[in-house]
Amino acid sequence: MSLEPATREEIAILARRAGLELTAEHFDQLCSAYEHLERMLGRIRRSRSYADEPAHVFTPTKFIPVE
Amino acid sequence: MSGLEPPFITIAEASRRIARRELSPVELTEAYLQRIAAVDDQLMSFVTLTAELARQRARAAEAEIMRDGPRSPLHGIAYCLKDIIETAGIRTTAQSRLLADHVPSKDAVVAQKLAAAGGILLGKTATWEFAHGGPSWDVLFPPARNPWNTDHHPAGSSSGSGAAVAAGLAPATIGSDTGGSIRGPAAACGIAGLKPTYGLVSRRGVLPNCFSHDHVGPLAWTSEDVAILLSIVAGHDPADPGSADVPAKDYTAGLDAGIAGLVVGVPWRWLEEEAPLTPETRSGFDAALEVFRGLGAEIRAVEPPPMQAFNDAKKIIAMAELYSIHEKDLKTRPELFGDSLRYRIIAGSLIRAEDYVQAMRVRRDLAIALQQIFATVDLMLLPTGEPAGKLEPVPHSSLFTGASYTTPFNVGGNPALSVCSGFAGNGMPQSLQIAGRLFEDAVVLRAGHAYEKATPWRDRRPVLNLQPQHTIA
Repeated sequence: MSLEPATREEIAILARRAGLELTAEHFDQLCSAYEHLERMLGRIRRSRSYADEPAHVFTPTKFIPVE
Repeated sequence: MSGLEPPFITIAEASRRIARRELSPVELTEAYLQRIAAVDDQLMSFVTLTAELARQRARAAEAEIMRDGPRSPLHGIAYCLKDIIETAGIRTTAQSRLLADHVPSKDAVVAQKLAAAGGILLGKTATWEFAHGGPSWDVLFPPARNPWNTDHHPAGSSSGSGAAVAAGLAPATIGSDTGGSIRGPAAACGIAGLKPTYGLVSRRGVLPNCFSHDHVGPLAWTSEDVAILLSIVAGHDPADPGSADVPAKDYTAGLDAGIAGLVVGVPWRWLEEEAPLTPETRSGFDAALEVFRGLGAEIRAVEPPPMQAFNDAKKIIAMAELYSIHEKDLKTRPELFGDSLRYRIIAGSLIRAEDYVQAMRVRRDLAIALQQIFATVDLMLLPTGEPAGKLEPVPHSSLFTGASYTTPFNVGGNPALSVCSGFAGNGMPQSLQIAGRLFEDAVVLRAGHAYEKATPWRDRRPVLNLQPQHTIA
C-alpha cells in the first residue's frame, strides 16, 4: 500500500506528539528531511512472513556484567 | 619523498630504525610538531594539540627503549585521534558546541591500547559534527582541508585524520566509519584506511553515531602501516556488546604472500548503471584491475543487491539511532547543533518502531546476500568514490540522496580498505576499495599491500607551503 506524502500539517502533529517544539526554521528542516525519509521508507516496505526476524535479535550473553 | 625520512617516514620504517636505536622518538616527535606548526593552519586538521604531553611521552619512550627495547612496533611513534575518541583529561568535542567543554575522565579502549603500545599522542583531529554533520562552518571548529589542494575537501567524517596523515603531520591515526567515514577521507587524501570487520575493534569510549553500523579503524600512509595499527587496536572487549569474540591476531603476518589465485568480484551494475563512474575514474579503475590481473588474481563480475537498498536500510536505522542518542539535546538546546547535523537526524523523531524493525529486516536480507557473494569470491574491488571536489557547502540532504559505494560494507559488516590508486588530471587522488569476507581483514590488507608494492603511488606526497618556522610552546 503506497501512502501519500505527509502534509506539513500532519508532520506538525507528529512532531508535537514526539515532544518537539520547533522554531519555524527547524520545522522547515524537519519537513524537508521527512520528505526524503518517506521515500526511503516507501522503498523498504514489503510483505513479510511472521518468522522474518530482524538483524538485531537479542543475544543475552552480550550483557553479562564484566568485572 | 619515499617514506624513509621524517616526517614522511612510515610506521614500519620508523619502527625498524627505533629498534636499531638509529631514530630518536624525541626527534621524530619534534619533527611532527614542527611540521604541524608550519602547515596545519592551511589544513586545520588538528583541533587540539597536546604538544607538551607528546614531548613528555616521547622522552619516556626513548628512555625505555634505550633500556629495554621497544615494546611494540608503535613504541615511540606518534599518532593522532579523531575527536570523537575519548581521551582522559583531553577535551573531546565531536566538533560540536554541545561538547565544547567536555573533558573525559577515561580513555576510549583504542586510546588505552595505543598508549599501552608506547605510541605518542600528538592530539585530536577534526571531524564532522558527531561524525555525521558536515562539512560545517557553524560548529566549534572550521572544516579541515585537503593537503593535495586546500581548496578541496578531505571528505568526512574522519576529515582531520585523513588530512594529517597525508600531509606528514602524523604517520598514524584512528577514525570511525559508519557509512564510509574512514574510507572516504582515505580516498580523498590518498592514503590507506581500513573499516575493519564489525566488532573487531572496540567502540567503547568512542562517541556513537549509529550503534548498528559504527566501526573503529586505522588510517596510515600504507596498508602495511594500517596492518600494524590494527594488530594493536583489535581485540575482544566484553564490555562492548558489539565486540566480536575472536582471537587476537598479528595482521602483518603473511602480508607479503601476494594475491595470486585470489578471485576478485567487481559489482559492475553499481559502477555502470546505478551510479556510473566518470570516464576518468573508470579509466583509473580499469588500470587498477589490470594490476590485480598482473599479480595473478582472477577478476569476475558479481551481482549484489542494488546500492540504494543498502543505503535506504542503513539511513533509516541510522536516523532512528542517532535521534535516540541526541533526543534530549534536540529538545532542550537545538540551537547548539550545526545545521547539517540537526537536519540529518531530526526526522529520526518520526520513525516508527515498525519502520525501524522493517529496516533491520532488510538489513539482515542484505547482509545475507553480501555474504553469499563472498562465498563465491575472496575480495570485491570497486572505487571508493570520485576524487575529492571543492570544499564548499553541500545540501544537507546530500547524505540521503547521494550514492555510496562504501555503505554496503557497513551494512554487511565486511572489512573494507581504501588505498590510493593514482591521481586525476587535476592532481587529486583516485582510490580503490578492497572488501573481503568477514574476519578476513588480513586478506584485504594483503591485497592492499600487494597493490601498493606494484604501483608508484606511495612515492608522491602533497606539497604544502611552509610557513615561517616557529616553535610550538
